[in-house]
Amino acid sequence: MAIINLKEQTIQVKIIYYGPGRSGKTTNLEYIHSCLEKKMNGKVSKLISIDTKGDRTLFFDFFPVNLGTIAGFDLKLQLYTTPGQVKYEATRKLVLKGVDGIVFVADSLDSRQLANKESFENLIQNLNYHKLDLDSVQLIFQWNKRDIDENLISLTDIKEMEEQLNSKLKTKSFPSSAVTGMNVLKTVNYIAKKTVETVIENTVF
Amino acid sequence: MIIHEKSVDKIEAILQTFIDESGATYVLLVDMGGNLLFKAGEGKFDGITLAALSAANYAATMEIAALIKEDNFSLLFHRGNNENIHFTKISEDILMIVLFKPFLSLGLLRLKIEHTQDKITDLIGSEEWQS
Repeated sequence: MAIINLKEQTIQVKIIYYGPGRSGKTTNLEYIHSCLEKKMNGKVSKLISIDTKGDRTLFFDFFPVNLGTIAGFDLKLQLYTTPGQVKYEATRKLVLKGVDGIVFVADSLDSRQLANKESFENLIQNLNYHKLDLDSVQLIFQWNKRDIDENLISLTDIKEMEEQLNSKLKTKSFPSSAVTGMNVLKTVNYIAKKTVETVIENTVF
Repeated sequence: MIIHEKSVDKIEAILQTFIDESGATYVLLVDMGGNLLFKAGEGKFDGITLAALSAANYAATMEIAALIKEDNFSLLFHRGNNENIHFTKISEDILMIVLFKPFLSLGLLRLKIEHTQDKITDLIGSEEWQS
């Protein structure tokens, strides 16, 4: 749930990166964080990761970003990832509390298409747990790992991924590579803009 | 949620009184989604990150309670060497987080928290807040 503070003239929104395990959610946040660190000479909040020894997300990754001004309000984004592994269902659903915008990070590997589908269905269930649905939050897709050499590992065609996950919603999507940074910043800028626009539209001042 | 200027002033005044009377270091009000709503006190803490982690910690603890068939845990508190932290759910969607030094009495602090909770819930329930 977005928070609009009229005294401090701030809008806070919560954006969550969701998707199956190892699809690149944490890598997205790490890339955004490293870009901001360079830009702000290290003056950014720490990227918090609650993960396992094997670097798998256990609860979430988090860091807050100030993204400039919109309609006279300072825009504060809270970026989160969810754990992708199926066994962390209990913690995954908790992170969704109060969500305003979602980036669904889908894995482009052929072998992970079923995992994408299952994770998307799980997202809908977990939104329902918080009395939300796909119409009440902003959602965009990222078709990740497009940097992989298709001669080495087989990737699913973007058209096919669109058909599998985005045929009903027909929302914005970005082919991406969280490792190289391709479209990572575009994705976060787009979801932030879209989410804030919706929050302002739905708010009676 | 829209927070009006008047409400910010009133709640910050209540929180400042709590700090003055209890001797606590720092107090935050956060929503269950992890957003920082209000704060008072002095501390070199990243309040935004503390809010996100505290809401997650609280939510996880409540899930543990449900799993072992408890409605609630009445005390949620961590003791440190230099700073203690205490969590209280003060309304359906708001959590109060208090940082305080180990030499302060936990019992007295909890009484002050309860008193502050009443004042805040009265304000949140008022027409002025909801308008």
